[in-house]
Amino acid sequence: MNAPLLEVRDLRVGFQTDHGLLVAVDEVDLTLERGKMLGLVGESGCGKSVTARAIMRLLEQPSGRVLKGEVKLEGRDLLPLPLDSMRKVRGKEIAMIFQEPMTALNPVHRVGRQIVENLLLHEDLSSAAALKRAVELMEWVGIPAPDQRINDYPHQLSGGMRQRVMIAMALSCNPKILIADEPTTALDVTVQAQILELIKRLQKETGMAVILITHDLAVVAETCDDLAVMYAGRLVERGPVESIFRSPLHPYTKGLLECLPKLDHPPKTMLPIIPGMVPGLRDLPVGCRFAARCPNTHGDEVLATRQPWKDCGGGHGVEACACFASTL
Amino acid sequence: MALLTVENLKMYYPVRGGVFHRTKAVCKAVDGVSFKLDSGETLGLVGESGCGKSTVAKSVVRLLNPTAGRIIFEDNDITRSGARELRTFRREMQMVFQDPAESLNPRHTIGQILEEPFVIQKIGTRSERTEWAAELLRRVGLPADALGRYPFEFSGGQRQRIGIARALALKPRLIVCDEPVSALDVSVQAQVLNLLLELQQQDRLAYLFIAHDLSVVQHMSDRVAVMYLGKIVEIATAAELYRNPRHAYTKALLEAIPQVDLSRKRERKLLKGDVPSPINPPAGCAFGHRMRHPKWQESVTMDLSLREVSSGHWVQPCPCCTE
Repeated sequence: MNAPLLEVRDLRVGFQTDHGLLVAVDEVDLTLERGKMLGLVGESGCGKSVTARAIMRLLEQPSGRVLKGEVKLEGRDLLPLPLDSMRKVRGKEIAMIFQEPMTALNPVHRVGRQIVENLLLHEDLSSAAALKRAVELMEWVGIPAPDQRINDYPHQLSGGMRQRVMIAMALSCNPKILIADEPTTALDVTVQAQILELIKRLQKETGMAVILITHDLAVVAETCDDLAVMYAGRLVERGPVESIFRSPLHPYTKGLLECLPKLDHPPKTMLPIIPGMVPGLRDLPVGCRFAARCPNTHGDEVLATRQPWKDCGGGHGVEACACFASTL
Repeated sequence: MALLTVENLKMYYPVRGGVFHRTKAVCKAVDGVSFKLDSGETLGLVGESGCGKSTVAKSVVRLLNPTAGRIIFEDNDITRSGARELRTFRREMQMVFQDPAESLNPRHTIGQILEEPFVIQKIGTRSERTEWAAELLRRVGLPADALGRYPFEFSGGQRQRIGIARALALKPRLIVCDEPVSALDVSVQAQVLNLLLELQQQDRLAYLFIAHDLSVVQHMSDRVAVMYLGKIVEIATAAELYRNPRHAYTKALLEAIPQVDLSRKRERKLLKGDVPSPINPPAGCAFGHRMRHPKWQESVTMDLSLREVSSGHWVQPCPCCTE
């Protein structure tokens, strides 16, 4: 089978609100290959989480819906599937973990029971066998004394341990894809490093593919193979991590990389900045959405017309706004 | 003479429980912290959540009453000052909080928020206060028409600018910044950091700058203090701390920070275990205890007060974490 593991084509997601239809994700294309880790990066409101939820068909109801596009898992479009077939995909083929494991876990059930639930739903296991498997899973994700922890409630575990439980749950049925939505944002740096290392290890062991959603470019640099940068609902740049970090093409990606404080820089010097702020979704231009904050000079025509996507070889592509397209 | 001197600051909380609500344990949130801060200087304070850095911040501006120790602002010991006396000192020391959405009153206009410090201190006439508020907005890069608007009309970065403007209102000499950028987007974070640096240069402000992100602290500070479980384990100039960390915990923190530099892709030595609880902390070196270091036992009976290893570089001298 030559189809990529997951292919998102032309995805547009909108939310019906009091102010009319807000398009949160606009014609996004993503490709996830087997065994790869894709970082999806952008600031708040750029549509990265909405993209993930649209893939899982977990958009907030009834306001959110996919307006157009395809989400193909091994060539099969998930969007038109009936709900019960989709349920078999969720957790079994694509699993997801969230930012705040305390709100994603049910506080009144023991963690063991929550891991078992997924196993019983998707696998043909007796409850005793499922429980045994749950203990193995917890050990696998590095939870000490798993046969005791399995009887704990979520509040008895630390943030890092809760995220490990979430990962154990997500991986219980050997999914082909793990979508991790800001899995370490709520954690301390030292624990963040542990969790990222864990995800990488598990990915190697199982050969699953991972979509890592984060606002932190440094996290992507250290863990991912490929990177997709989103801005205000659109994809602005996509490619192998090496290629993007060495030669970012889009002015937004450049700006993001430059404005991070770095450990080896001289202290108390002014940082390069991206002026202005992340735009709201209500009045976005048809054309380049970054134009208002862009350091390059550009005419009004980049706002009026959708800027073309350009592939620059080696899988590295960019929304080639007229303000820099001639340099490509 | 230092602008701010903190000596052996301790903040203990009783942990109560049981039928009779008796004290079961003591939470040593801050346990013997000392440092000095000069005018125009920034001292960064880093550590994992629960290490006591925010407690230090709140104690310094006396939003908390410390259990023991001394806080000296210039020549005045304000550790036990009463409300009236503190009101004069609060002109000199202000605070910027983490979450600008929660630290601005949603029912007050920006004008009311910025004029409130003058009202409390009984300075100026009504028209003067409005004028000053407009000037404050200009300094933090917001338009004067913001005065009549409400906090919800602004983005996170703009709200943090308003929080900073409010802190500047009384022309303080010390601003305690408690995680001022951790709620902000990456592209906005740099703007706010630059603003803080500019204001510091203009007014010779001193900052006590608290963040969990070591690269942010590193960028903003002259000196950095690393806290672990209520204690400072290492303090040095920012450059020295990065180049030559001496305490094992500082090294571990530096290792854990993800970097955009691809040449640094490396196998990391990861810290095991979680951030421990400050309730009934272990004796001796808490980090050595977490690492189960074979020499930890030796640190229990030792004097662990900081020792100067080179000029201005102080480290907790435990056998387990510093060679």
